[in-house]
Amino acid sequence: MEYIIHLLILIGIYGILALSLNLVVGFTGLLSVTHAAFYGIGAYATALLMTNFGINFFLAATLSILITLLSALVIGPILARFRDDYYALGSFGFNIIVWSVLLNWQELTRGPLGIPGIPRPSFELGIMNYEFSSNLSFLILTSLFLIMTYFLSQYIVQSSFGRVLKAVREDEEVIQVFGYNTPYYKLVIFLVGAGMASIAGSLFATYITFIDPSTFTLNESVFILSIIILGGLANNRGAVLGAACLILLPELLRFVGFPSDVAAQMRQLVYGLLLVLLMLYRPQGLMGEYKL
Amino acid sequence: MDILPQLVANSIIAGALYAVITLGFNLIYTTTRFIDISYGAIAVVGGYGVFFLSKKLGLDLAISIPLAVIFAGALGFIVDRFVYSKLRARKASNMIILIASLGVFTVLQAIVAILFSSQFQTLSALAGETRTFEIWGGVITDIQLVMLISGLLIFLVLAFLLKKTMFGKALRAVSDDVEVAKIVGINTDKIIGKVVFLGSAIAGLAGIFIGFDTGIEPTMGMALLLKGVVASIIGGIGNIYGGIVGAFLLGFVENFGIWQISGEWKDAIAFGVLILFLLFRPNGILRR
Repeated sequence: MEYIIHLLILIGIYGILALSLNLVVGFTGLLSVTHAAFYGIGAYATALLMTNFGINFFLAATLSILITLLSALVIGPILARFRDDYYALGSFGFNIIVWSVLLNWQELTRGPLGIPGIPRPSFELGIMNYEFSSNLSFLILTSLFLIMTYFLSQYIVQSSFGRVLKAVREDEEVIQVFGYNTPYYKLVIFLVGAGMASIAGSLFATYITFIDPSTFTLNESVFILSIIILGGLANNRGAVLGAACLILLPELLRFVGFPSDVAAQMRQLVYGLLLVLLMLYRPQGLMGEYKL
Repeated sequence: MDILPQLVANSIIAGALYAVITLGFNLIYTTTRFIDISYGAIAVVGGYGVFFLSKKLGLDLAISIPLAVIFAGALGFIVDRFVYSKLRARKASNMIILIASLGVFTVLQAIVAILFSSQFQTLSALAGETRTFEIWGGVITDIQLVMLISGLLIFLVLAFLLKKTMFGKALRAVSDDVEVAKIVGINTDKIIGKVVFLGSAIAGLAGIFIGFDTGIEPTMGMALLLKGVVASIIGGIGNIYGGIVGAFLLGFVENFGIWQISGEWKDAIAFGVLILFLLFRPNGILRR
């Protein structure tokens, strides 16, 4: 049972990541491969605020969103001028820069040692003091955030703002002719995505209670990208479904009983193969409404 | 010891290595017009090819290096035939091919890690005693000297191929416009196949150089690829000669950068350069 709850929590966290990346990749058609960077910044910001200053989780998560947004503002305006290949490359670069900052700014992040002993979220209401220490309660918290992210995403894509995003995806020049400042739209949705990824990071840090830079590599960005490609671009239910599939799929491999190093690589192999096969035979994924 | 000559020597060596990577990358890019992520993994395969043939099977380097290079080329060719050319034939968008190549990259990297473990391996012991030379106060090893010379040779051979042969002419035609090239009777599939083989073989060679110079690990492919991409973007992507300029510029910026701040920031510096170029000169320093 604990095991199932653990998997559900992971699905929730990756569901948030997938929903937020889907806004950028699926709905706006910008191939951003830097989501793990914002996931990581959110996780580190929350972990550092909570362990160093003893700030409450909910405040720390909010501050983390602000910090993530600030860092997204460094790269966002540059990326917003591009699309397709150059967008992907610029985002690759940013992911690697963030990862090397997490790894090498040892005074702040403790480098490869990571940050241990991150407390679980808790809140105080009057005299009531509750800590999400059991996994079941954490699952409920994660689900709440997942549902909020889902409805926020749904709201965004159904609004008039969302329609402009889809127009940018279909033909950026045409929508520019109509007088829309497309870099602005591309920047805003990129920031929204980054902010949501930060929440996933806060949850991850306080769930595992330990983080190190190896979680937030380019591979992780590719993994999140494969989730939404499998689930289906521009479909929010597809994003959550994709997260469930890709979290559960490697668990099947667990029963084959590889040594742990090989198992990790087998997982990568499966994700890679899946991407290739999807591109060859079903580029719109399971429930996709948009083909790249 | 004065540090400046050594820094210049290091920059030139790094530049030469990046130039080799960039040459292969640009060669493929000019004909296929998509950013082939799997190119980085092919370089890794080349390095591990020599590691396997010489260190595990005990073959002589004179045999194992050509074999590994050919294997890398063949692998690139096979991947192109079974994945990319199918997608191209279907007129799939660049994004689809980019993601497919990301998938291929991940698969190859995982296979290498499963076969050879993810540990750092070095090939330099195979080459025997390392000799060093001193040129104007900068020290370089014999392996680095070989790297420099073969980099120059590859460049000259490629330049000759492109300028003087029928193959070069056909290649330039394909890179200008695939459809028109087809109409005038060029077998574009054959040309692309040859180019991919050649480019992948060059990638394999670059991986081998790194194995001898510093060492190889399965995860180094992405950094390698991105160095090639950064150099290409600096020089104007798809511009083979510009890429060389970009490669050396990158080599110098990286090495002079870590003179002031510590070596771990090398990659961050390289991608900082990329982002600066995207910001100010997205078409590269050499206009086409």
